[in-house]
Amino acid sequence: MISLHGVSKFYTPEAVVLKDINLTINAGEFVSVVGQSGAGKTTLVKLLIAEEKPTRGKIKLGDWDITNIRSSVVPFLRRQIGVIFQDFKLLPKKTVFENVSFALEVAGVSALRIRQVVPPVLNIVGLSDKAGRYPTELSGGEQQRVVIARSLVHRPKVIIADEPTGNLDSINTTDVIQILKKINEFGTTILLVTHNREVVNHLRRRVITLADGQIVSDEEAGKYVI
Amino acid sequence: MVSFLRVFKFAFQDIARNLGLFSMTIFILVLMLLSVNTLWSMDVVTKEAVQVVKQQVNISFYLVADASDQAIKDLTSYIQSFPQVVSVKVVSRNDVLASFETRHQFNTDVLQALSELGSNPFGPTIVVNTKEPSDYKTIMDAVNVPQYQSLVEDENFQGHEDALDRIQSITNRVNQIGLGLSILFAVIAFLIIFNAVRVAINSQRIEISIKRLVGASNWFIRAPYLVESLIYSVLSLAITMLIMYFAVHWLDQYLTIIFPTGFSLTNYYRSHMLYVFGIQGVVVLVLTVFSSTLAMRRQLKV
Repeated sequence: MISLHGVSKFYTPEAVVLKDINLTINAGEFVSVVGQSGAGKTTLVKLLIAEEKPTRGKIKLGDWDITNIRSSVVPFLRRQIGVIFQDFKLLPKKTVFENVSFALEVAGVSALRIRQVVPPVLNIVGLSDKAGRYPTELSGGEQQRVVIARSLVHRPKVIIADEPTGNLDSINTTDVIQILKKINEFGTTILLVTHNREVVNHLRRRVITLADGQIVSDEEAGKYVI
Repeated sequence: MVSFLRVFKFAFQDIARNLGLFSMTIFILVLMLLSVNTLWSMDVVTKEAVQVVKQQVNISFYLVADASDQAIKDLTSYIQSFPQVVSVKVVSRNDVLASFETRHQFNTDVLQALSELGSNPFGPTIVVNTKEPSDYKTIMDAVNVPQYQSLVEDENFQGHEDALDRIQSITNRVNQIGLGLSILFAVIAFLIIFNAVRVAINSQRIEISIKRLVGASNWFIRAPYLVESLIYSVLSLAITMLIMYFAVHWLDQYLTIIFPTGFSLTNYYRSHMLYVFGIQGVVVLVLTVFSSTLAMRRQLKV
């Protein structure tokens, strides 16, 4: 599903962020990427969503070779990936329903199709009854669930979650992780980038540990070891 | 089609969010277009004025009182043979006298002096019109030959050259000022549109980043700003046309007094509407699209 071969990223010869990363993630896996700040986790996410290009190496995501992807093709790639960030990135002047449908609107999906797709997705994340509310009227956990719903509307094969629980308390963290597990059970590959030791240890799934831009461990049913 | 309609939707949303800036941009564009139209109207009116003055320009050859009909006929045919000549009119001695008396009907001293002469002192007059005022010199030189020296007593070029020069000088000055104003407004409009789009993009940074994140194409992100440029152009042109409609209507009541030819600016704009506003529309559109594109290139690194 996702493969990186000899991927390095440096901004200047001295500022090396990722060094010779070799990694394969199969379809349907739930993989956690852990590491301290500055380990290169966010850069890895940026490479996978084609926000940045690798300095060396090759990156494949599904059938897409995104190593040197053209900017005109990037939007089509991003419709295949669900992305969740710590800071939610919700539009404050749009309701829950509108925020979720926004992802379909920009892709040119018809209004009829949007009305068919959005309600079931809101149901999955448990926000059917709050479709008309604005982000400011929701808790942090609920806002993150809106983001998850938005990332799901394109029915992506991969969801990349960069610190999705970073701003949440333990109860909301559990809720969000449960939803991600549920989505994973439907066959969607999940790449979870996190600092949260409890989450990683509780998941007991594959854990990739980054340190100084390199993979220092890659364990099935691993634990947060740093 | 759906995306196309949504581009318009996002463009109108953006306008609604920045209504103040939108109004200011439209205001400046209208000022620019009005200055261009003022310049345009001045040009049309002065051209018409020059034409009217030119029609009034003529040269008169005053012949001796005892000029024979044959001599007058020969001279008339000679003048008519020049291609620059539009018309030649012979005014008889009696008509000249009648015209003189009419002109001085309230001046008893002149009329008294005339009656004391006992006979008509005037000779016939030949009045010549040419295509251009500059042609009169040619005709005058042609008549000032020994053959006609005994026949022509005097000549008078009512050239209105000073008037023509003055009209031309005023026209040139007005054109220069108008051009300067138009350029000034165009620069201001460029800067305002540039900043309007920049502010709009800045205020929507989050929205734009989300659009990118969820897979909006570059076209979809940029197009609303181009649609806004189109709206700026169409609206400012429409407002200008409306103002011009009332302005030329108001001006026409004075122009019909000045111009005996029945010249009307309303009729001019009516018959040249597509040309006049077509050119202006294209110029404004190029200006707005150019400034928007430049602002986007600086602000949107998509």
